[in-house]
Amino acid sequence: MRTKRLTTMAILTALALALSWVERMIPLELIIPLPGVKLGLANTVTLFALYQLNLPSALLILIARCLLTALFSGNMTGLAFSLTGGILSMLVMTLARHSRHLSVYGVSVLGAAGHNCGQILIAMILMHSTYIWGYLPYLLLIGTACGVATGAVSSGVLRALGGGKHHYA
Amino acid sequence: MKKERSALTFRRGDAVAIAGVILFALALMGYYLFFFSAGEASVARIYQEGQVVRELRLDRDVEFVLEGDFRNVVTVQDGKIAITESDCPGADCVHSGWISRPGRSIVCLPNRVEIRLEGGELTDDDVDAVVQ
Repeated sequence: MRTKRLTTMAILTALALALSWVERMIPLELIIPLPGVKLGLANTVTLFALYQLNLPSALLILIARCLLTALFSGNMTGLAFSLTGGILSMLVMTLARHSRHLSVYGVSVLGAAGHNCGQILIAMILMHSTYIWGYLPYLLLIGTACGVATGAVSSGVLRALGGGKHHYA
Repeated sequence: MKKERSALTFRRGDAVAIAGVILFALALMGYYLFFFSAGEASVARIYQEGQVVRELRLDRDVEFVLEGDFRNVVTVQDGKIAITESDCPGADCVHSGWISRPGRSIVCLPNRVEIRLEGGELTDDDVDAVVQ
């Protein structure tokens, strides 16, 4: 692995961790009291990595971010949620990116939906309860709003920093 | 370069994707509310790790503690139920507030607890069937 790519990935991982931490200061769960509701700012980093680097790099950054967040917070249940949600979200975004009809906004929204489905899936498995899916519509609606927001942020970031492709690789 | 830029501006396809997700969510919500919240909520069933650990009626005020990885204080008052105190991270369950309508539930993911309001009678024979 080239040094430049390694450095870029390390910086992006650190940035994603910082964003997850900043996000915790925004008390979204006070307005919308559902477990697992969050803005998804760290997804900006994932989107950036997907558009500017490649899938393996984006996946590595995601896994590193999830592991480190779990390590810092000591919340191992959270790890199962963030990993399942994150990987499903990345899968959806990778597919969505190849559609010529979608911009980073659509990719972000579909990624958020994938994340929500992953969260519900793991909740159903961990709690041995199928009823949990009753939460899915609410998560999806909030996730869509947050997805548009992160899409806008990503669009701005990519516009400002994204020169030619593999510029950061 | 030009193609790269156009991937960053909002397109009609994005609107279609957003509308699709919203419609799917609304359809799910309708389905859930229609099939799972009929009738009066008479019984609150408390599940931990998918097992019914306690059943109670909402017309009797009570307060007790659910132990697990964390500690949830469950309160029943005036036909409503809530987790009023919890030492779990985030305490989303406490923020969920009071529920009283059938089909509604309070979830504490860290403690693997779900409080679900259901119709029907308080019967112990029923428990095994519910758990599957």
